[in-house]
Amino acid sequence: MDNTKILGILYETIYAEHGSALEMLAACKQAKSSSLAFGYFEHSKDEYNHTKTFRKILSNKTSGINTSELRRFRITPQGLIRKGYVSQNGYLVENMSLKNFIAYVYTNELLAESSFSKIVKLLGANTEEGRSVMKIMEDELRHHGKAKEYFLRYFPFLQPWQLSLYKLRESIKNKGRKFYHSNIALLEHIFYPLYSLFALIISRLLKSLNLKEFKRSNKNLMDINYKSIL
Amino acid sequence: MFIGISAYNHESAIALVDNNGNLIDYYREESLSRIKGDKSFPKRALKRIFNIHNLNTDAIEKVIFYEKPLSAFLFPLKEASKFIPESMQLIVNQIRNFKKSSLSCYLDIAKEKPGLEKKLIYIDHHLSHTLTTLFYSDYQNDVCSIVVDGFGDRSTTSISYVRDKYNIKELWSSSYPNSIGLYYSSITDFLGFTINEGEYKVMGLSAYGDSNSKEAKLVNKLMKWDSFNNKIILDLEFFSFYKSITDSYGSKLISMLGEPRNPFAKLLPGDLTFQKYANIARGAQDSTNNVLSKIFNYAHSITRSENFLFSGGVALNSASVNYISELDFVNKLIVPPSPGDSGAAIGASLYGYLKSKNVKCIEKPSLYPSNYSCYDQYEAISKLLDKNYILVTDNHIDSIELACRLIKEGEVIGTIISNSETGPRALGNRSLICNGANSKSVKKLNNLIKDRSPFRPTAPAMKKETAYKYFELNPAVMSSYKTMTATCKCKKDSISLSFPTTHVDGTARIQIVEEETILWELLDKLIIEGIDIIANSSLNISGDPTCFDLIDGLMVCSITPLKYLLTDIGMIKKR
Repeated sequence: MDNTKILGILYETIYAEHGSALEMLAACKQAKSSSLAFGYFEHSKDEYNHTKTFRKILSNKTSGINTSELRRFRITPQGLIRKGYVSQNGYLVENMSLKNFIAYVYTNELLAESSFSKIVKLLGANTEEGRSVMKIMEDELRHHGKAKEYFLRYFPFLQPWQLSLYKLRESIKNKGRKFYHSNIALLEHIFYPLYSLFALIISRLLKSLNLKEFKRSNKNLMDINYKSIL
Repeated sequence: MFIGISAYNHESAIALVDNNGNLIDYYREESLSRIKGDKSFPKRALKRIFNIHNLNTDAIEKVIFYEKPLSAFLFPLKEASKFIPESMQLIVNQIRNFKKSSLSCYLDIAKEKPGLEKKLIYIDHHLSHTLTTLFYSDYQNDVCSIVVDGFGDRSTTSISYVRDKYNIKELWSSSYPNSIGLYYSSITDFLGFTINEGEYKVMGLSAYGDSNSKEAKLVNKLMKWDSFNNKIILDLEFFSFYKSITDSYGSKLISMLGEPRNPFAKLLPGDLTFQKYANIARGAQDSTNNVLSKIFNYAHSITRSENFLFSGGVALNSASVNYISELDFVNKLIVPPSPGDSGAAIGASLYGYLKSKNVKCIEKPSLYPSNYSCYDQYEAISKLLDKNYILVTDNHIDSIELACRLIKEGEVIGTIISNSETGPRALGNRSLICNGANSKSVKKLNNLIKDRSPFRPTAPAMKKETAYKYFELNPAVMSSYKTMTATCKCKKDSISLSFPTTHVDGTARIQIVEEETILWELLDKLIIEGIDIIANSSLNISGDPTCFDLIDGLMVCSITPLKYLLTDIGMIKKR
């Protein structure tokens, strides 16, 4: 696999881990008990450390790639929202019941562990980088176990098969998300001419629009109509 | 009550002004979401303001949005439409994302607080900035306001004359895309730093550059002041931000300056390419200083004013603030603590108050307006404190004494003390502090805890009499020294030139601490021990916003070598 593809995977993983760190931090702040707050704090701390590890690996993989290509892999905090790793509607804990949230953590940690095993294969299990990712995998399994422990403690009437159902639901959702993203390029390709045509019409209209009318020169800014959006 | 909102372009924020014209609360959304530069609609800040003050929508007289949304949407689109087909992608993107623009403010408010949207009004973007600065100024009549940013809702730079708070007349403006802010951001991008985040790195880097170098001269030429037509002229052939969604600079800039910097490579003084990039940064800083001085000159010539309000994102450039303050005709230069867009929410809320029926006077706001107390989270984190930390003492006086002893021993301490600053500068309540004359401590703060680039200095905080002892203070910007918005030079042959908080060009972004603050309390004791300078940097993990609450502070402790946290509940030590 060429280096830019590895960079692409690491780039997405950094966002995913940073997003998880923030999700867990938000959960810690909203926790109703100090035990839960402690658990989420520790989880968030691990995810922050994972982010740092993946960032380091990404930096190490950039040699020999030209700068204009590398600019695509710059990590910005804004990308968390833009790329959907943190929802525009808020953190999961702000929008989910505690039960669903714990089930989400339980499932996703397991899924993360399995996707990291693919990264280890790419990096090489005997490399220093591969070993640090394997350590992260151990963390993810521990988080999964903790979530299960919490789940059974707070919702003792739930049966193991119900947890399996949650896992299945999240797996389908993740697969759906992947399918959507892998096909979005095709959809873009199909719809882009339509968007472009629309943009062309708008730009023609804009060209004829005289915005100089709205100049404020020599006007008292305090007297401008505050109901107007222009 | 009046709520001011800024959002969708840069860091979003909400300000609350009461019926007596006092700023009683203010939050940046990034403080609560923990996403640096969060520009999404500030729903968490809005929710917190309603919860903390037990508000309902009836208690709010007006909600004031900090810009005219349709103007902000149309002006860049109209400019881009001149460059079709090159700009097609940008136009498509703008239209498809209109829901993430200011245009959706009304809908977002309606979604978060139904009924509140009926009280929504909109004001001119640069007026929001001017009113914010006026709030913090001792001069509220007959003063000239200069706003310089990337892009407002019509213009990129403007000059207004404030006869009084009801008579603010715009006299001159520079239209998009001729923008000092966007020019500086494009160079920031070329130098491998992130736009809207790395500009202060460029400022720090520029001190290493040489104004007479080839690179500096080339970059300097890209932006000029046309003194015949009184216009900012940007050589647009070298830039792409007005027609491209992905590139801020064009291929012509690459042909002229060579390859842009690898954003992942470490930039270390002494390295092979360091000087080239420092020279480019120097060129950007020189042209910014030069054009700003021309704008101030022009403003002086048309208003005869010697007192100026300066705001907008470019006013965050503390080196430029110092440069302008040295112009002959400048008597006073007032820069608010948060001159960028997030601070504009404060001006917007003030507008609502000024338009209400019972206006009295404007009270100068606190520098720590965001309400918080560590006691709010004490119970929730009791297990965390038990397991991972030790509450060394819960007595305030003992905590201060311990902090002083630790600072003297070379330790770095974090602070989470009551209300938070307006931002972006930490003034002591959300800071990392250590002995400002101890190189090892400052190095630990910078490299180990903050993971900062080695070319960026840390700010020194001190009492006024100490500042007079070491630095050449300019009376024109005395208020800026309280909020770290201006740099100043070390005195000739002064020992301060060797302080680790002094930059390579012999300047420092000093903070003169206010009385009755935590830094004042610490300095009171430290001065007896022979320490009169504290190095002060914001408490955060690299890439994250400044900490807001105790949990954020404990997180910094957990994942960095920081051991001590001075808080409302006492001194906390990592186990």
